[in-house]
Amino acid sequence: MAERGQPFRQARGGVTRRNLSSSRSSFFTKSATRYQPPQNCNLNIRRNSQHMDSSFNNPNGNVKDNSDNRSWIKDAADVIDEENNLPSLVGTCPFMCPVEERLQRERLRDLATFERLDGNPGKSSSNLAVKKFCRTISTREIQVSDVRPLSVLEGTLNHLFNLFHSSDHPFEVVHDFIFDRTRSIRQDLSMQNISNNRAITMYERMVKFHIISHQKLHRSSSSPNASSLLYLNLEQLTKLLMTLFNLYETNRISHSIYDNEPEFCSFYVLLQIHPDSKQGEPLSLWFRNLPSAIMKSKQMCFARNLLRYFRLGNYKRFMYMMKSEASCLQCCIVEPYINEVRALAVSCLNQAGYKLQPFPLADLSNLLLLQESDVESFCNECGLETSSDEVGKRILAPKQSSFFHPRKGFQKYYPIHSEGLQGVSINLLDL
Amino acid sequence: MAGAYMMSMGEAHRRILDYLNRFSDAVSTQDGKSLSRLLSISSDSHHLLSLADALNTFQDANRLIRQSEEYSQYADILLPIFRALQSYRLRNLVESYQAFEKASNAFIQEFRNWDSAWALEALYVLAYEIRVLAEKADIELASNGKTPEKLKGAGSLLMKVFSTLAGKGPKRVGALYVTCQLFKTYFKLGTVHLCRSVIRSIETARIFDFEEFPVRDKVTYMYYTGRLEVYNENFPAADHKLSYALSHCDARKEANIRMILKYLIPVKLSIGILPHAQLLENYNLNEYSNIVLALKRGDLRLLRHALQEHEDRFLRSGVYLVLEKLELQVYQRLLKKIHIIQKQKDPNKAHQIKLEIIVKAMKWLEMDMDVDEVECIMSILIYKNLVKGYFAHKSKVVVLSKQDPFPKLNGKPVSS
Repeated sequence: MAERGQPFRQARGGVTRRNLSSSRSSFFTKSATRYQPPQNCNLNIRRNSQHMDSSFNNPNGNVKDNSDNRSWIKDAADVIDEENNLPSLVGTCPFMCPVEERLQRERLRDLATFERLDGNPGKSSSNLAVKKFCRTISTREIQVSDVRPLSVLEGTLNHLFNLFHSSDHPFEVVHDFIFDRTRSIRQDLSMQNISNNRAITMYERMVKFHIISHQKLHRSSSSPNASSLLYLNLEQLTKLLMTLFNLYETNRISHSIYDNEPEFCSFYVLLQIHPDSKQGEPLSLWFRNLPSAIMKSKQMCFARNLLRYFRLGNYKRFMYMMKSEASCLQCCIVEPYINEVRALAVSCLNQAGYKLQPFPLADLSNLLLLQESDVESFCNECGLETSSDEVGKRILAPKQSSFFHPRKGFQKYYPIHSEGLQGVSINLLDL
Repeated sequence: MAGAYMMSMGEAHRRILDYLNRFSDAVSTQDGKSLSRLLSISSDSHHLLSLADALNTFQDANRLIRQSEEYSQYADILLPIFRALQSYRLRNLVESYQAFEKASNAFIQEFRNWDSAWALEALYVLAYEIRVLAEKADIELASNGKTPEKLKGAGSLLMKVFSTLAGKGPKRVGALYVTCQLFKTYFKLGTVHLCRSVIRSIETARIFDFEEFPVRDKVTYMYYTGRLEVYNENFPAADHKLSYALSHCDARKEANIRMILKYLIPVKLSIGILPHAQLLENYNLNEYSNIVLALKRGDLRLLRHALQEHEDRFLRSGVYLVLEKLELQVYQRLLKKIHIIQKQKDPNKAHQIKLEIIVKAMKWLEMDMDVDEVECIMSILIYKNLVKGYFAHKSKVVVLSKQDPFPKLNGKPVSS
């Protein structure tokens, strides 16, 4: 195992188990006002930030200099002070939210919609309140009674995902709530150094949530917050995947792989099919250390082939594969970026086509996985005019000099459309 | 084997004193070479091995060190060095590294006080040992089911060494050697992005003049930074750096040349330059043979087959994705051959190639491609300027430009 090198291992050493000392309780002092309402949580990163894991990568999005912690929201795990080498704690909070926190938030009327009893903004219950994510927790402030043990965390996650499926509220509201509360769950998991198979399952479920959010947020990107929500979601999705891969690696027995590991690895590959993918860690480096069984798995081969077609510009195969082989979740990841490939296709056809032999929009519809009406608006958004031929069929004539690539993104959202596509509603997706 | 050699107390005493004398002599006469020999624990030199045995026999080196001012002034270095040696001999590699870390910290303190660069060679050995002992320690940790974290610590320690050399004085020429040790560490750990800050220091800090560094270090530096460029697919930069490494590398160091070529060849292929078969043969790089052949022949099946055959090897070295992209050049070559064949049959009509013909050629290569996909490939080749011409959608024909229909890459990668 050591020979492979560990690209994702977080230096905090959080995955080693430590023995609980009998005098553990003396580490924690009781404090009546331990819980701080979120408005007072300042963003000052703790003084020991130089010990924070600097080898952690954010493979997607903008990689800032590692010393700029503010723009780089760490997984709460790393807040644990390595220097003190505290034994890992076992939480004892039996509720989804510690009682103290719930009471305080009731007083301050700081309850999310889903936590309100009968809609009352000042009243919650132990069945509804869920512990909030708090950015700045130093180990001195942690009380065992505020940390939820594994079984409670599992129950909390179930509760949250039930909300996801059943809620009538706008998606952004639901997403926001679950986003925050799952971060808190991850924080509790890390504080207790839980890294077993049950943790793996929980992380897998959370990844799925972020993937579905990824697509849904793109689809409903109406609000002004949209792009920052998207960015934050993508950021968490990537961090989650990294943590998950770490867990797979640490729990690995000899050379076996986890059942879901190929699928989740494929998600990471598919995330690289992104117009701005200047990854922090190039894919080539990541591939170096993956077990052969994963590289050759069905899901990874799909992702690798798709990536290859993307890089080569083989839009035909790319689209075809999306239509015929992509799983639901894989679609969710790729769909927001598929316009890149469509734009490339249209650009190529426009540039290399023969003026007197235009392309029927019906053909383009099949090729680009767009509804025919969408083909019109798509072309228009690229500065191309569509027209009709002698018999009234809609066509696109090539060699138009007005083509441009909409760098700021497309106005309309163009989902993947195909006659034979298995329309598995993502609402039915089991989280 | 460890500690099996029994020596008398007197003999052990003598050997330890011998080392202490060598150490203090080396420092007082500013003899860097001799000092460096006293630090190379992992070299398994006869001298150090027998010293280790002596230490394990005598057990009270502390007393000997404190006996004389000459030695006791370096106690902070000597005592942990001894511990490191003893542990190393007894195969306690984690303890050995930990002790060596302490010794290194103390050595760095002393080094700072020494004027001139006389002790650089010793510092080089120190840096090397830090990395190598940490690697061994991690292997031991992993085999005991623990988290390997020593090499990561070594990285931080090496940065410390680096910063003692990042000054205006003559010691600064040692910085590149330490940089290379850092590169090796980061590459091994997989935390390759950490190279960035060190590279920045070397390349932009005004204290360093790249030309001043020893050739050996420049070659290693260009090799690693060249590899980084390969991973990031900056082919012109990768070509420049790896070619530098190749041309400045000692021609007798065949293993090193091979390592450079392993990365340079995919880069050259990506910019349209093919190596001679003899080169591949000479340096045992035959995994590239079929790929070169595929490019020459326009044989897509052969390219894919070669990638599959050596998949693990290419993935491990990180060039797989680079080689995958050569497909477009293979298509270009295939089209060129079809064009040549058509010219022989009917020179006037040769520039018009029916897509059907290409489909047939693909079938012959056992590649399953329909006419739509062929049209797609044609359009992308034209778009990326690998082919000059256009295609007629309805007639299913690609019409090549009469002049220079297949532009050469001319040392530039295929445009994205």
